[in-house]
Amino acid sequence: MSGQSLKVKPRQQRALERFYFHEARLLDNRQYQQWLELVDEDIRYIMPSRTNLMVDNRERGKEQMISVERELEGSESMGCPLREEGYVHLMVRVERAFKINAWSENPPARTRRIVGNIELMNRDGNQMQLLSNFHLYYARPGGGNFIYSGQRRDTLLLVAHDFRIRRREVIMDYANIDVPTLGLIL
Amino acid sequence: MLRVSELVNEDASLVSRRCWSDPGVYELEKRGVFGRSWLFLGHESQIRNPGDFVQAYMCETPVILARGEGGRVHASVNSCTHRGLPVCRADHGNTRRFVCPYHNWSYTVEGDLVTIPQESEVRNKPDKSRLGLKRVPRVESWRGLIFGCFDEAVEPLEQYLGDMRFYLDALLDRFPGGIEFMGAPHRWVLDANWKLPVENQLGDVNHGAFLHSAIIPREAQDTIEELGHSVVTRPGHGATFRLMPGDAPVDEVAWGLEGMGGIFGGAEVQDYLRDIQARARERVGDLRARMKGLTYGIYPNLSFLWSNTSFKVSHPRGPGKVEYWSWAVVPAEAPDPIKQILRTNYSSFFGPGGMLEQEDSEAWVQQFRGSNIDFADDRPYFYGLGLGEEGPHPELPGLVSVTANEFYARHFFARWRDDLQAVEGLS
Ligand code: FES
Ligand SMILES: [Fe+2]
Repeated sequence: MSGQSLKVKPRQQRALERFYFHEARLLDNRQYQQWLELVDEDIRYIMPSRTNLMVDNRERGKEQMISVERELEGSESMGCPLREEGYVHLMVRVERAFKINAWSENPPARTRRIVGNIELMNRDGNQMQLLSNFHLYYARPGGGNFIYSGQRRDTLLLVAHDFRIRRREVIMDYANIDVPTLGLIL
Repeated sequence: MLRVSELVNEDASLVSRRCWSDPGVYELEKRGVFGRSWLFLGHESQIRNPGDFVQAYMCETPVILARGEGGRVHASVNSCTHRGLPVCRADHGNTRRFVCPYHNWSYTVEGDLVTIPQESEVRNKPDKSRLGLKRVPRVESWRGLIFGCFDEAVEPLEQYLGDMRFYLDALLDRFPGGIEFMGAPHRWVLDANWKLPVENQLGDVNHGAFLHSAIIPREAQDTIEELGHSVVTRPGHGATFRLMPGDAPVDEVAWGLEGMGGIFGGAEVQDYLRDIQARARERVGDLRARMKGLTYGIYPNLSFLWSNTSFKVSHPRGPGKVEYWSWAVVPAEAPDPIKQILRTNYSSFFGPGGMLEQEDSEAWVQQFRGSNIDFADDRPYFYGLGLGEEGPHPELPGLVSVTANEFYARHFFARWRDDLQAVEGLS
């Protein structure tokens, strides 16, 4: 997805933002059950791992040489993504959050996320490909404060004038993973 | 200065908080444990071809593990002989030369220095044969697992592993082509001491029903208590597993079927796993075919998880910081799409994004805090559960007991104490 985004009418852009801002608010308010209703049951939720590779001499001078893509071990790769989840995984995560013995989030971490740079990249029938960026502040009681930064590559389904998340790939901007968990819903 | 004898008592049922937090103890660990033990470097499947390399660590020392031109495996310290920069900055790859960024001295994958660009401008030519990367003096492998040791006089690797080979083979030899490591390790930096992740996966399956009760159902823990065995083959090495009844249905015994990938991955994966189990008896014998592992540990810092198939290494970064590496491990002969499903047996529950390990990692971080407080040194940690209740077993090598017996940890700390005492006062 390196080309320009689609030209969209302000109203359409506003509808997408409305969806994403609502989602962000649900997550920061810990209303995960409501969040799960935004998710299609066939969802794939992927978080590629990110590696440090040698520069390939033959790629010298080309964009490919330092592209983000080559650093990712995603779901198609024979490496190991950090997360490759379906609806069941997300359901278990949501259920866990409402149990008294989800110890690492008890008391719950405080989060605040800013979602921006929302771009509609492609549209095919009722499916839309979107990019968005996020910064998330995470404060864990008895732990510390952390910043999460990344990009989301989504496929949204248009269902009865509303959206459902059909696929989400989260590209994390880490060198070493120095946050307490990557198991958050991002 | 603390005396090692004050840290761990005679039967290792009491372990001082300072074992986990004292900078002086950590310096002793570097020399006594990490300087003299076989340390895991990588797996042969990661460096199949000449020129292939991966990064590794031996404690805090960065190491390049590479396959040389002649096909042999080499391990060199990743630090230029000129001014000490790392000559390799990639996690893995394939190359003919490592070129140091500072003044471009270049080294072969075997670690030999081949070029000093400035050499032509000076009259006295340095002897390059003496300026290669520091070699790890001992490198040996067993079943594809490569280890290195800084102590030239260390016993052979196979002897070091001893009877752990019996238990490792229950899995490694189940697969005709052995195992394969998938991709680069997930490297997770936590404010914890390196020994607690190790202890956790050396035999502590008892926290499952408690720390993980939001995810692990009580029945799963009941099966562990009913069929579980904990084994110490030699202090510091241990395994826990369930020994399933001879008439247990294949689906209850087979490796891989109890993970998320096995459960939700579809019929093709499940048939593949049943097929492996069907041949397990002829490959590893009746006893080991019935083994359904839980945790494995190899002294000092290698761990292996059976159901959530993962190899893990706990790399210290000081007393209060650890870089915890983990890899998904799959049968080498499995078709690619099956490997891609099986790796989720690991990532669903373990690693930085895993549903279970988010609880463990928090426990490890909080334990370090508890180990670094004042005014509580008269309350060392209690390691006495099941003291003396372990014993020999008619079929299983090593000392055997129920999983609630903390003898795996007592043995670890007894060995650790001896290792530190061996270097205490020298320096
Ligand atoms: S530091 Fe490596 S070439 Fe100078
Ligand atoms: Fe655990």
